Amino acid sequence: MLRDRERREYAVMLAPYLIGIAVLIALPALVTFALALTEFDLIRSPRFIGLQNFRDLWEDDIFRKSVRNSLMFILFAVPLRLVGALAFALLLHRKFRGVGAYRTSAYLPTVVPDVAYALLWLWIINPLYGPLNLALGAINGPTPAWLTDPRAAQWVVILMSLFVIGEGFIVAMATRQGIPSELYELGDVEDATPVFMFWRVTLPLMAPTLLLLMFRDTIFSFQANFVPALIVTGGGPPPNETTYLPLFIYRNGFEYLRYGYASAATLVMFGMTALIIYLQWRIVKRWRHAFVV
Amino acid sequence: MADLRFAGVRKDYGEVRALRGLDLEVADGEFLVLVGPSGCGKSTALRTAAGLEEVTDGSIHIGDRDVTHLKPAERNVSMVFQSYALFPHLSVEENIGFGLRARGDRPKQARPKVLAAAELVGCEKLLERKPFQLSGGERQRVALARALVREPEVYLLDEPLSNLDAQLRVNTRAELKRLHQRVGTTMVYVTHDQVEALTLGDRVAVLDEGVLQQLGPPDDVYRRPANRFVARFIGSPAMNIFPAERVDGSLRAGPFLFEARPNLPARVEVGVRPEHVQVDEGGEGAPAEVQVVEMAGNETYLHLQAGDSPIVARVGAALRPSVGSTVHVRANAADAYLFDAETGETLS
Repeated sequence: MLRDRERREYAVMLAPYLIGIAVLIALPALVTFALALTEFDLIRSPRFIGLQNFRDLWEDDIFRKSVRNSLMFILFAVPLRLVGALAFALLLHRKFRGVGAYRTSAYLPTVVPDVAYALLWLWIINPLYGPLNLALGAINGPTPAWLTDPRAAQWVVILMSLFVIGEGFIVAMATRQGIPSELYELGDVEDATPVFMFWRVTLPLMAPTLLLLMFRDTIFSFQANFVPALIVTGGGPPPNETTYLPLFIYRNGFEYLRYGYASAATLVMFGMTALIIYLQWRIVKRWRHAFVV
Repeated sequence: MADLRFAGVRKDYGEVRALRGLDLEVADGEFLVLVGPSGCGKSTALRTAAGLEEVTDGSIHIGDRDVTHLKPAERNVSMVFQSYALFPHLSVEENIGFGLRARGDRPKQARPKVLAAAELVGCEKLLERKPFQLSGGERQRVALARALVREPEVYLLDEPLSNLDAQLRVNTRAELKRLHQRVGTTMVYVTHDQVEALTLGDRVAVLDEGVLQQLGPPDDVYRRPANRFVARFIGSPAMNIFPAERVDGSLRAGPFLFEARPNLPARVEVGVRPEHVQVDEGGEGAPAEVQVVEMAGNETYLHLQAGDSPIVARVGAALRPSVGSTVHVRANAADAYLFDAETGETLS
């Protein structure tokens, strides 16, 4: 049993964090809930309109397009980012000459500020002098107009997210390093091929961590395309081919001053995130016997 | 089944020499125990035999095949690791059948072999369980069954009992011996425990600093140690060793006085095993102060101080002098070992 004095001490130590959560997260979330039921433009007082914002969202073509774009982004980006992190982890978990430099290179894009990273990509995909098209042209490959071709623009945003996998890579590498080397030595003695070892040992033993990364990445991916869409593609090419939910919310809130509408869209995004996580959890629960360690 | 031969095997890790030209032959069907202190090279020797470590020099043969540069899988050996190396996400059945599946057996083909191996070590009722549901002893059985299931030419066992408690170790030791008698396949067993070495091995190879110190039947290694290291390492409590000085044609070694035989080197040492130290509470012999009394059930270990010489004596349970009292110690010359103080070699 904690004594009263200890309780007070713990409360004091926890206070800054709890106040931060309350003021910076809980309160804005509550305000968002409230604003979603209003019409509010920052000039006039909020006007209660019930569920009208949600009805308007349902009939808004741009919103529907944003939802579709966001889901497609998650569908491609999350598995590819996971595979990328796993591939780097499997390549770089061993110690060999120069491995530190390789690991740093793999992690480096993650620490580049989002805006600088976006500007860098604007140069990379420039159709005239960008290194990507120059390299593709040199091997007689296709040289798409990355910012005006709808499909190409969507792939640019996905491609940009694939190099920012430092955290997933570090977590996956630590997990791989935690698998005892004797298991692989036994595989060597028992004539198990690398492919057999990967499917029968490495992947199942890393699965709990990879699933955790997948959940985390799904949440992250809903928001990760905001800067690329804002700075690199500008939400285009028309009609709104790279307008994702965060950009839709940002534009409605800060450009069109429709705070109530943007808040309703935020709640929808929150609900979609929760739903996807729930579905993933159900799938994992159903197949958990394959991953129990 | 096949014999296993190490011919001048050297293994260096940078500046560290783990094996310094190991020559060792393990006969077909033999149970050979490699024993030595930590870092003596015994596990390295086993790993080079398995192919998990490349040798720096020398060669390794299994039967009539030179396997020195073969991959582990091509050597037809099975290995039991100290940690058991069980796959935590696989059932006992899948663990035992792992090697069979890796080599292409379908589950239906593997199952009868898995069952036979499981029955051999008595874990046939555990097949559905996962490793985390097993006790230490059960895990050890599963690891053994996995090694047995493929019927290789040589079994390599790396301290498989070291994670078990003392009671279980004794039981499992006997089971392992019975198992070897039943399967009759060549087994090389690594341990740092000299009791395990003496009780299990048909022959015992004692290693120190990457050099084979002695190879022979357990009785030989215990009764006729090749040098001071083997004499000290084999036997518990360890042999008492005293620097000897010549006194009027005799050898004084600690509290003991022996007749000096001719042609001894300039500097010699005398060894007396604890069980050969005769302790008398009131009779003849050199006086020694009792410093520690250790009860070990049917016997007692006495830690004594005779002048400048510490002595350990192993006596019957009936003799229990009190700490601080004085006893008298003697030893027969026939029970004493003589070592060259320079080289450490035993003098015959």
